[in-house]
Amino acid sequence: MFAPTGGEPAGRTEVACVKSIDFDSSGRMAMVDEAIVARGLTKVYGDLTAVDHVDMTVARGGVFGLLGPNGAGKTTIIKLLTGLSDLTAGEASVAGYDVRRQPMHVKQNIGWVAAEVILDDELSGWENLWLQAKLQRLTGWKERAEQLLAYFELSDRKQDRVGTYSTGMRKKMEIALALLHQPQVVFMDEPTIGLDPNVRRMLWKLITGVNKEFGITVLLTSHYIEEADALCDHVAIIDHGRFVASGTPAQLKARIQNDFLDFETSSPVSEAQLRALPGVLEARSQGKGWILKVVSAEETLPRLFAALPENAIQRVSIEKPSLESVFIDITGKRIDQAGGDVQDFRKFYLNVRRARQ
Amino acid sequence: MSAEHRFAWWPRRPGAPTGDYIGQGSQFYGLYARELIKTFRNPWVLVITLVQPFMWLAFFGSSFALVPTAQLDALLNAPPGTGYLQFLLPGVVSTSMLSIGMFGSMSTIQDKRFGFMKRVLLTPTGRSTVYLSKALGSATRGMVQIPVMITAAYVFGVRFEGDPVMWAGWLVGLVLLGFGFSAFFLAVTASSTDWQTPGVLSNFITMPLMFASGALFPSQNYPTWMQAIARVNPVGFSALLGRGILVDGTANWAYLGYLAIFAAVMVGIGTLVASRYLKVE
Repeated sequence: MFAPTGGEPAGRTEVACVKSIDFDSSGRMAMVDEAIVARGLTKVYGDLTAVDHVDMTVARGGVFGLLGPNGAGKTTIIKLLTGLSDLTAGEASVAGYDVRRQPMHVKQNIGWVAAEVILDDELSGWENLWLQAKLQRLTGWKERAEQLLAYFELSDRKQDRVGTYSTGMRKKMEIALALLHQPQVVFMDEPTIGLDPNVRRMLWKLITGVNKEFGITVLLTSHYIEEADALCDHVAIIDHGRFVASGTPAQLKARIQNDFLDFETSSPVSEAQLRALPGVLEARSQGKGWILKVVSAEETLPRLFAALPENAIQRVSIEKPSLESVFIDITGKRIDQAGGDVQDFRKFYLNVRRARQ
Repeated sequence: MSAEHRFAWWPRRPGAPTGDYIGQGSQFYGLYARELIKTFRNPWVLVITLVQPFMWLAFFGSSFALVPTAQLDALLNAPPGTGYLQFLLPGVVSTSMLSIGMFGSMSTIQDKRFGFMKRVLLTPTGRSTVYLSKALGSATRGMVQIPVMITAAYVFGVRFEGDPVMWAGWLVGLVLLGFGFSAFFLAVTASSTDWQTPGVLSNFITMPLMFASGALFPSQNYPTWMQAIARVNPVGFSALLGRGILVDGTANWAYLGYLAIFAAVMVGIGTLVASRYLKVE
């Protein structure tokens, strides 16, 4: 379904190149079973290569996640695929239309949910829907809008100014706007960033609903491990503008057989000292701390404490096989996790995954 | 989509997508209406829009209140009995159109910074459509103050000349002036996301265009270089057209033609600039 190339190290990813994108005489992509196809997608800003020869294919009806730290190139990929930013090189199609040659066709078939809620606060919920209908040149949209408002439980507030809505209601309204014109693909750029746990849980359910109940392909970006794990059928891990691994969350986690120990010390520790510990496979420094790749965290942890001076370890965390450990294994560093509420979702995302299966 | 999907029965939307320049009527209407709704829904914008011209007339219009009538008539080069307020009104109305472009620019920058521009441009809406809706929205907002000023002047005792056709022509000229300046401001700030840019630009061009126009004082008394500017200044075209109608009851329609050319050139250049350089964020 999804095939990354161009990332490094090539040997670690299931590489299957998209050979080419074939367009018929009208410009519509011949391979219409795919919601998104990109080949050699590249974006360069001055000296910075934000997206570096990314190839990807997303099948219709799936939830595809781009997982990576801030600045990895996730949002830039969305901008390229939605026509907001010009491609430096490569080609891409969304909903069967060429991003470069048919941007208006693409925009007619996509929805978008931003990281931050973007609505016109001075307009009512209904007026925001009305404006979206005008921008998408819709006719007969009112019944659909009423259904969406009912689905998102916003019907009784539709005449109120959006500025008076709660954060959760605003997010719901934004998703309703994204669905009003029946898009084939909805792009969600960090849809839950900065939200409190309750709102995030609600959004996860809604995103699953958008995909399952409305049958819409979803491409979302996130730097929350649990979010990608819970919501996505396929995940591509991105770093420095390149796909470094991809597959289903289960496939990615199956690649990792080892645990990781992530810790900080109050006094300097040498790499040789850490490597000498039994069970330590690799030792990498990261900022003020270290990340150890170990056979078993439970066995290595006591040895680590014994080897270092008393009270030298200020913080330590164990990373069992997960998407996070996949990222650590490939890049040698953690995905930057914003907010401290990630742990709260472990139980919830397992429930969501169970519900999706 | 499979049958179990919610609302799977929704009919697919017919019709071909729009282009960047054609078939954008729906989008233009939506964005233009948004501009008007936001203007009329914000009480402070309305209050300031209405009070500001009134204050111009009250304070600036009273500057020559104690000057003897004959002396004032000679100074203004106007028919006997023309008060400064009557002389001033067409000029103040014209200069007020200078600042509306700044508000249109600021509104556009706000849309960029709050992400609303991105939301719009992720729909099949052309950048030129966004630009034109903003420009006309600003011009329309500027026109709100015209009836207030005329009413205020009437309350101050000013009586006007001209017939309905002339007045209609004058109002069209004001719309063209406002449209042209809005188009100019929006084009110059198309790629900007800095709140300060429209204000700086406004300060830079307002002063010379206002005073070197004949809008506030007769240009016959200007030095040669200022008269040269006044001869090509669209603010002056509008002020002289209005003054001819309101004070003398005669319309020099050539000024309306100049204003049409000014607006057309500004909108034409601005549309090209915006379609290429209007920034998303």
